[in-house]
Amino acid sequence: MPVYGLIDANSFYCSCQRVFEASIRAVPVVVLSNNDGCAIARTKEAKRLGIKMGEAWHLVRRRPELKGVRWYSSNYPLYADMSRRMYQVLESRVPRVEPYSIDEMFLDLSGLPYDLPTFCRQLRHEVRAVAKIPTCIGWGPTKTIAKLANGIAKDRPELDGVCDLDREADRQAVYRELPIGEVWGIGRRIAERLQRAGIQTIADFVAMDSRAARDMLTVVGARVQSELRGQSCLPLSEVAAPRKGLACTRTFGRLVDNWTDLREAVSHYATTAAEKLRAEGMTASFLTVFIQTNPHQKDTSWYANQQSCGIEPTCDTLVLITEALRLLRKIWKPGYRYFKAGVMLDGLCPAGLQAGLFQTRDPVKSSRLMDALDAVNGRYGRGTLRPLSTGLDRTWRARQSLLSPAYTTRLEDIMEVKAW
Amino acid sequence: MSGAYAGDRTTGFASPASDSTEGPIDLSAALDLQRPNRYPVRVVGDALAARGILHGDILIVDTAARPQSGCVVVARWQDQTIVCEITRQGGGWWLRSGKGQDAQMHRLDPAHDSEVWAVVAALVRTQV
Repeated sequence: MPVYGLIDANSFYCSCQRVFEASIRAVPVVVLSNNDGCAIARTKEAKRLGIKMGEAWHLVRRRPELKGVRWYSSNYPLYADMSRRMYQVLESRVPRVEPYSIDEMFLDLSGLPYDLPTFCRQLRHEVRAVAKIPTCIGWGPTKTIAKLANGIAKDRPELDGVCDLDREADRQAVYRELPIGEVWGIGRRIAERLQRAGIQTIADFVAMDSRAARDMLTVVGARVQSELRGQSCLPLSEVAAPRKGLACTRTFGRLVDNWTDLREAVSHYATTAAEKLRAEGMTASFLTVFIQTNPHQKDTSWYANQQSCGIEPTCDTLVLITEALRLLRKIWKPGYRYFKAGVMLDGLCPAGLQAGLFQTRDPVKSSRLMDALDAVNGRYGRGTLRPLSTGLDRTWRARQSLLSPAYTTRLEDIMEVKAW
Repeated sequence: MSGAYAGDRTTGFASPASDSTEGPIDLSAALDLQRPNRYPVRVVGDALAARGILHGDILIVDTAARPQSGCVVVARWQDQTIVCEITRQGGGWWLRSGKGQDAQMHRLDPAHDSEVWAVVAALVRTQV
């Protein structure tokens, strides 16, 4: 019988901030989305103050009752590195680990010669001690059950961060209590459809005829049902599937109404997308550029457009900028205040796989130039050497007014400790 | 760079060392920086000068190591993160300041805002 576990960090981004600042260990902490827009992570103290997920910072920041809250811009280099530490701790103790998201990992706990509750408590302690991140763990015979158990471990403080749903009898008790909407893979719409058919709890759903479940919810819903019944349908995947496409899209730090700024931003996004492409050793053969005004701003006229084209497979920053700007020129209309733009790359293939029959550019020259570019930026920091078309002042860049140091990835930013 | 010369691929006489190149020393490996329990931190102040730890030094600290009496640790003390000596006395653990004879002591108590964060494992000084 397989046993799957799911370990999930509590308020992960906030917990990462707390690792490096002793003074915020007990105060409410909130991390904001890109551009310091809205709350995307909250500690329990912040939740208790009534700060909602997605709450706009500029609307609530001056509320008197939120005076003691510490707000942070999202610091992704830090979160990625702390996620790496969490993964490594788990990987040294568990045979197989799947990094499902930046803050949750599936564990293969099948056939381990330990008492699982004791073992999982130790895992939590070790992640807490080494990566400094508080977590919860749930486990059971399928991934869907592990995910459910994890949610229960998080919601019920008396369980002390662990929840065991490996035994059928324990599951039955839980299934009778919990609404179907709590299950991983059952979205709000599906939950509503099930409720209209009289299915309220997980127990109701599990007892439903399998064929009826499949007719109503397709094969995806049928799989959720099997998983809840304890038949594992979703295997552990230790590595992410190769990407089919990648994108760099951002909301601007301010509205952009002129060609120069928009051109800079799109060049910058093309540069970032090309860097990602090269980091994965891929080339792209299809390019899309889009721009849009703010859809929520009702008082100004709205415009959005996109253009795509096939290109010779490449990962060359300069080529991608040229092509992206050619597309941008087609969709750019003056007189609008743009809010967001993006560059998307598709048709990804491992670099060097296709020797283009009708190649118009010198691939050796291009790859040498890109190697040099990446080497300089790798050594002296991102963006040290970049095409001038990406701009100098770049006032359109996303706001990060509350950004903390990159404590673990930049030497000039490491945590300071006072000699005593 | 792919064609970097490392003492191996010579153009005239074949290098007798071509099977023996080892590359430069990697300090990040020596300091175990890839491990999840290793964090670099920067020292502020000269209170630990007597132990050879100076202002501006980089300490590599280990969050998986167990502290021994007399070693140097990074600790949380109230709202601060400090680096100091730790010592075991009378059945308890104490943080001891580095000021020789007039050393101050704080009793460690994880329930009251004081705990060991990591044990100092190595020191890097980039300017001597």
